Amino acid sequence: MNQMEITIPKTSAVLKALLKADYTTLWRNRRANLMALLVPMIIVFSWKSMVSMPMFGPAFVLSNAITLGLVAIGLMGYTNSIARDRDKGVFQRLRVSPLPLWTIMTSRLIVQLTMIMLLTLVVFIAGYQFDHISMSLSGYIYTFLISIVGGAVYLGLGQAIVGRIQNPETVNSSARLIYFAFIVVGMFGELNVEYLKDIVNWTPYGTVKTILASSLEPSKWNNQATNALLLTLGYTVVFATLGIKWFKWSTK
Amino acid sequence: MDTQPINILQVDDLNVFYGSFQAVKGVSFHVKQGEIFGLLGPNGAGKTSTLSAVEGLIRQQSGTVTVAGYETLKHPLHVKAAMGVQLQATSFQPELNVSEILQLYASLYGLTLTQEKLKTLLREINLAEAEGKKFGQLSGGQQQRVSLAITTIHDPKLVLLDEPTSGLDPQSRRQLWSRIEAIREKGNGVVLTTHSMEEAEAVCDRISIIDHGRIIATDTPQALIDKHRDDPEVVAVSRRGKVTLEDVFIALTGLDIRG
Repeated sequence: MNQMEITIPKTSAVLKALLKADYTTLWRNRRANLMALLVPMIIVFSWKSMVSMPMFGPAFVLSNAITLGLVAIGLMGYTNSIARDRDKGVFQRLRVSPLPLWTIMTSRLIVQLTMIMLLTLVVFIAGYQFDHISMSLSGYIYTFLISIVGGAVYLGLGQAIVGRIQNPETVNSSARLIYFAFIVVGMFGELNVEYLKDIVNWTPYGTVKTILASSLEPSKWNNQATNALLLTLGYTVVFATLGIKWFKWSTK
Repeated sequence: MDTQPINILQVDDLNVFYGSFQAVKGVSFHVKQGEIFGLLGPNGAGKTSTLSAVEGLIRQQSGTVTVAGYETLKHPLHVKAAMGVQLQATSFQPELNVSEILQLYASLYGLTLTQEKLKTLLREINLAEAEGKKFGQLSGGQQQRVSLAITTIHDPKLVLLDEPTSGLDPQSRRQLWSRIEAIREKGNGVVLTTHSMEEAEAVCDRISIIDHGRIIATDTPQALIDKHRDDPEVVAVSRRGKVTLEDVFIALTGLDIRG
């Protein structure tokens, strides 16, 4: 059969269209997305007294606030939106359009990265405004970059959850459970029990918190921070690999 | 000069498996330009699996599917650009309104929908008043019209419609039939699956009946009726003395209710 003349749209134009739709979706869901900023804000406001304590300090407060915000974005925002759209058949409709499949997820991830950057910025501003925390310029820049690295772990974990579990309600409840578990892990980490601290430090929560705290004070970056960064990257690779391997575009 | 319409869709010896279960067994058929082709079969017969392989949603284990001269496995983007697909259960991003959905999908097909073009399109599908509504706020008929408008927004060479009239009232169904016929008049091919034999008789130029993953009959609706009208199985199931396509369908696929 002779091939007819068919024009394929440019990938850049497709990605632009998807981004426009995904940013519109993010904006329309702004109330739900603000919830991801709520817990970090509560930490910034309520832990004000810890800022001046020698055993905690400003980096401790900000790194905890950002870490919990990253967990909320990755596990609650991203995971639930993917599970819902897959269940409704949104992805199947996109898949029959002439676009490379990677553009669908890339657009979603870019939107989530924007949320991560927004979260980091909001925490910095709130920390400055309410807790009078002022870091060096390099501290702010490094933390901005490290928050993206840290956020990738939880986006990867979210991808693994939505890959393993098909039902959107089960995805939602599982994500909440894991979010809660991370909060508990964070609390255990603050207990003055050495072996618990060691365990928590090497969990996905602990490693992200460590690299964020160290990036806020770059002069204090040490071997433990480097190891935590390597482990964070390792977690990301493992979660993302499993998430991609398990992921199905349709629940049918 | 050869004026014969060419095959816009060619399916050859298609086999689709889900694990060890074979859903499509050596299916072959073709659709010409300007032809409405119906794929009929009971639930679980292999209609949607066949369409899914054509749409690129699932990968066949063997066999070839060619759309507008492009093989689905070798040129998936060309095939998708040449096709318009209306899935059985379609949904769009629930946060987007009708205008935004139309603009998104126009862009995905490389088109720019100016405000003027958008308004014309909305008027054509009788949704000028609903442009700001979210997809979930529309009635079944309105949703179906948006879905069909997106399916045909890029004037595709081949349109695939999976049970397009399911859940529609008679008025909406008739309106859809006219739209499908308008697609044919432009010289584009249409493949539709349906459980409505009345619909198949009314709109399809040719039909294939598929059961247990195999095509068991292919012809025009009238030719199928004429060919089988004296079969004892057809006579046994026919009512009121007049043999219909539904009688032939039931005689060929059996009376058992499927999943």
